[in-house]
Amino acid sequence: MGISRKNNTGYFTAISIAVAIFMLSDVLLGSTSISLTDLFAAVFGKKGPGPINDIVWLFRIPKMLTALLSGIALSICGLQMQTLFKNPLADPYILGISSGAGLGVAFFVMGSSALGLTIGSSLGMNIGMAASAWIGALVVTFIIISLSHKLKDNLSLLIFGVMLGFIGSALIGLLQYFSSASSLKNYVLWSMGSFAGMTTVQLIILAALVLIGLIISIYNIKDLNILLLGEQYAKSIGVNVQRTRNRILIVVALLAGGVTAFCGPIGFIGIAVPHIARMLFKNADHKVLIPASALIGAAIMLLADIIAGLPGTSSVIPINTVSALLGIPIILFIILKKK
Amino acid sequence: MPDLLSIEDLSLGYNKKVIYKKINATASDGELIGVFGANGVGKSTLLRTIAGLQPIFSGKIILKGINYRKLKLKDIASSLSFVPAQMNRANNLSVFDMLGLNCYFRSNWLGKIEDKDKDMISNALKLVGLDNYGDKNSAELSDGEYQRATIAGALVKDCPIIIFDEPTAFLDIANKYQITELLAKIAQERGKTIIFSSHDLNLAIEYCDKIWLMGYESFYNEAPQTLKNCGAFNQLFTNKNILFDPISNTFHKGPQ
Repeated sequence: MGISRKNNTGYFTAISIAVAIFMLSDVLLGSTSISLTDLFAAVFGKKGPGPINDIVWLFRIPKMLTALLSGIALSICGLQMQTLFKNPLADPYILGISSGAGLGVAFFVMGSSALGLTIGSSLGMNIGMAASAWIGALVVTFIIISLSHKLKDNLSLLIFGVMLGFIGSALIGLLQYFSSASSLKNYVLWSMGSFAGMTTVQLIILAALVLIGLIISIYNIKDLNILLLGEQYAKSIGVNVQRTRNRILIVVALLAGGVTAFCGPIGFIGIAVPHIARMLFKNADHKVLIPASALIGAAIMLLADIIAGLPGTSSVIPINTVSALLGIPIILFIILKKK
Repeated sequence: MPDLLSIEDLSLGYNKKVIYKKINATASDGELIGVFGANGVGKSTLLRTIAGLQPIFSGKIILKGINYRKLKLKDIASSLSFVPAQMNRANNLSVFDMLGLNCYFRSNWLGKIEDKDKDMISNALKLVGLDNYGDKNSAELSDGEYQRATIAGALVKDCPIIIFDEPTAFLDIANKYQITELLAKIAQERGKTIIFSSHDLNLAIEYCDKIWLMGYESFYNEAPQTLKNCGAFNQLFTNKNILFDPISNTFHKGPQ
């Protein structure tokens, strides 16, 4: 018995339709517009190999799927971190997990060039960047979880995240000083965020990570609901809070770490989406909030990707710029509404 | 037959430092027990230790004849409800769903509760006087209403012992009376053992079967009348100029 459960099915249907429309639009729109007929022909293989076929299969569909998976992943990470920390501003980006990933990539890309090492293949470069981003994200996640009992209030949590960000950029600045122009470019491109250029193998890895993260998140629902009333209360009910916390940590490492590794640091979606879900569904139950955040996150990320592609022009803007422009107004609205 | 709960020579403390020594107390079925002591003396620590949330510094706590050292948090939690002093409020969590969280070990893996428990929740809400509150947003309840909802939650958890840390703090006098009366009613009608900390001594003397007094010199585990007769309430303050008045059941400034 929720407060307004009768609307849930309606909202879920509407958001699912929006996700489907954005998925389709994300494939159709871009520097080259593709017509629906051409898309059907490409998908159902009526035409032989051709430029449209290549754009659809090699570029647009992988990019669309990456955006979809990233939106789901970052949103359900943000939701669980907000509940765990009892902090409406908690998300992987604000807490410095992305800074950690950035530092990992910077060390790999620029460190190797500073040391005079050359990474031969672009595949090696890709794998190396993803792995180092992941390690960086994992290290920061573990630091945050081990300090989480001291970071209960919004202020200390935010300061901690901002400080990690500063340390990260200071070290990155130092590395930039010693590195070559070409490796610097690699780093800067990664840090702007992009859903493009995913190979099939990378896409399968990301999809597997998101699937595992999603399954653990669904398993977390019951404990997340208990955490709504505070850690003390959860313990008194008999919940092993330490174990719950570890499971949330694993989800964040898999999902936020994975997305950041492949797509770069993408901010603000993780904070904003859970709030939109709470406002829309007027419900605190994670049975509703997990699927709602996943769907809304997917819709917003796809929309951001469509906008970033600047349909009809030949240029593209970084996904991070678009996600900030979409997310920050929502976050400001939340902060101002709380006062 | 052993006492439901017995505490033997318990010391409270943090990080190798003792904060309170030599607690000996018992609790039986259906008793309403008030825990009194000056701020900082260790009331919350005592209640948290009994709830199993804090390691035992030294001494013993025995639940139904079994030493706590042999019990897991889950075992303790199945015999005992604990309501902390500052409960988080979650926006848009309905009162019904909030109470449903107490069915953690009886609900399925997604937290879906059975019909039997739904009835139990409705009955608990009725008992605390929140009959039609099930669908309300728990974050929008008044302090008194929220406190009653947490009491209903403890009833839904359905344990023989219920512990409340300062259930009447921050309430006005009318609500303090209502809540204390409600606790007495639950102890009497449902046979629950209720242990609660408070600063409202006059209310406790009126309603409690027993008082655990954490005095400056020693710990008392007695009926209110006995404590009154032996002047033990004066141990609540080190200041010798504040004295307990057994007629009004409150404190007065003593003779200079």
